[in-house]
Amino acid sequence: MVDYFSLALTHGLLALAAFRLMLRADLDRDPEPQSGDEHEPKAAAPVRKGAHRV
Amino acid sequence: MFDLALAGFMAGFLALGFRRPFLWVLAYLYVDIVAPQKISYFLLASIPLSLIVFVGAFGAWAMADDKQDSRFALRQALLLLLFAYCGYTTMTADFPINAAEKWAWVWKAMVFAIFLPLTLRTRLRFEAVALVMVLSAASIIISGSIKTLATGGGYGALKLLVNDNTGLYESSIISCVAIAIIPLILWLKKHGTIFPEDWRSKLFAAALIFACLLIPIGTQARTGLICIGVLVVLMLRSVKRRFLFVSLIGIAAAAAIPLLPASYTERMSTIESHKTDESASGRIAIWGWTWEYVQDHPLGGGFDAYRGNRIRFNTIDKESAGNNTDVEATVITDKARAYHSSYFEMLGEQGWPGFLAWIWLQLLGLWQMERIRSRWLKRDGPGEQWQSPLANALQQAQVIYLVGSLFVGIAFQPFILMLIGVQCGLWTYLRRIDSERALAARLALRKPPAAAAKIPAPAPAPA
Repeated sequence: MVDYFSLALTHGLLALAAFRLMLRADLDRDPEPQSGDEHEPKAAAPVRKGAHRV
Repeated sequence: MFDLALAGFMAGFLALGFRRPFLWVLAYLYVDIVAPQKISYFLLASIPLSLIVFVGAFGAWAMADDKQDSRFALRQALLLLLFAYCGYTTMTADFPINAAEKWAWVWKAMVFAIFLPLTLRTRLRFEAVALVMVLSAASIIISGSIKTLATGGGYGALKLLVNDNTGLYESSIISCVAIAIIPLILWLKKHGTIFPEDWRSKLFAAALIFACLLIPIGTQARTGLICIGVLVVLMLRSVKRRFLFVSLIGIAAAAAIPLLPASYTERMSTIESHKTDESASGRIAIWGWTWEYVQDHPLGGGFDAYRGNRIRFNTIDKESAGNNTDVEATVITDKARAYHSSYFEMLGEQGWPGFLAWIWLQLLGLWQMERIRSRWLKRDGPGEQWQSPLANALQQAQVIYLVGSLFVGIAFQPFILMLIGVQCGLWTYLRRIDSERALAARLALRKPPAAAAKIPAPAPAPA
């Protein structure tokens, strides 16, 4: 039971992370420099199909 | 049902990789750490999953990934040299069959560590690799820690997800790795963008760090306690309020000691009185044997050369009653005792050439992380906040590993080789960023002001 809980929690997070990464264009290409004083990038907006570089 | 869920997860992960090929690299990290084919009963267990994902990760990179920004670092060359040398010693090994068995997984881990930095060319990829490594290890750690809370664990008694004592499922190794990833957890909590910092990520990070600290208690591996001590000392360097940090650690330790199982405190006390303990005395004897061995075999005996040892050593047991102390010495003979130290493992198996390449690889990593740490520490521009803390976390993880390695033979542990791969990637990535900036600055100086204004700024170290 404990094993199943641990696996479900971590694999759920891994699946969510993989899904979010799939939507991030900056996984394959660093974003251009931004103006303003943001220090960490926000999660990038979903990319249009075919808009990313592989 | 469980098998279906695990297979579905794996299939989904790999399917996403068709959209983003880098996810295959992450899938390999996951498979190598968690070994889902060992957890599975039949579905994943019936296919060569590790090989499929290994080939897939290479194939996806070779066919679909941009290689323009990939760089090959000196440490990758050192890994390649070590890889070639290990191949040679495997062919001339004292125990060819056993050596071939170890080589079967070592070569893959080394090749992947050489390959991984080539794929790490964006900021998000570093974060993704760190996150997948931490969450994969967390699969084992969370389960082990809950069992520790419920049963107290015990040396050799704590059952992890897989009960076969290989990879991260070996008690001393998971104890060392669980502590080594704590700095990475802290970095992900603060600088993560996949799971940005909010109350949920903070809560999860705190719970996972607590779980990591429970693993050395559950496994009762003395290495883990030493690693915790090293972590505390290392963190003194980076925490802002040192006095508060030390006070909190002191209070936490004082509160935790009465709650620890008696078997744990008994076992930890043998760190000081190692002469009474067979395991500790045996280690010293085997290290002596290895030192003698390498004098006769300076090129090493190949993997598993320890199988040739025959050792004799004494354990001394003292019992005091009033003014009298009875000293009882017991002579123990043993054979084929493992190295129980990465340093002696390298020395015995790969001789001086392998040992020197390995130690150079490690020391160069510490130095490079220190360079990045200090170079980026004072930068405060947009997107310049994550580099120094990541180098610091990777350096701390490596120091913890190197101290844990004094007592555990984990010279070729794939998880650690992955960490080395991330270090190599960070070093080449940030060097590229710096050189691009320097080039842009030089060009800007040469151009007249009107033309210079038109030069696009180089891609900075993105946040």
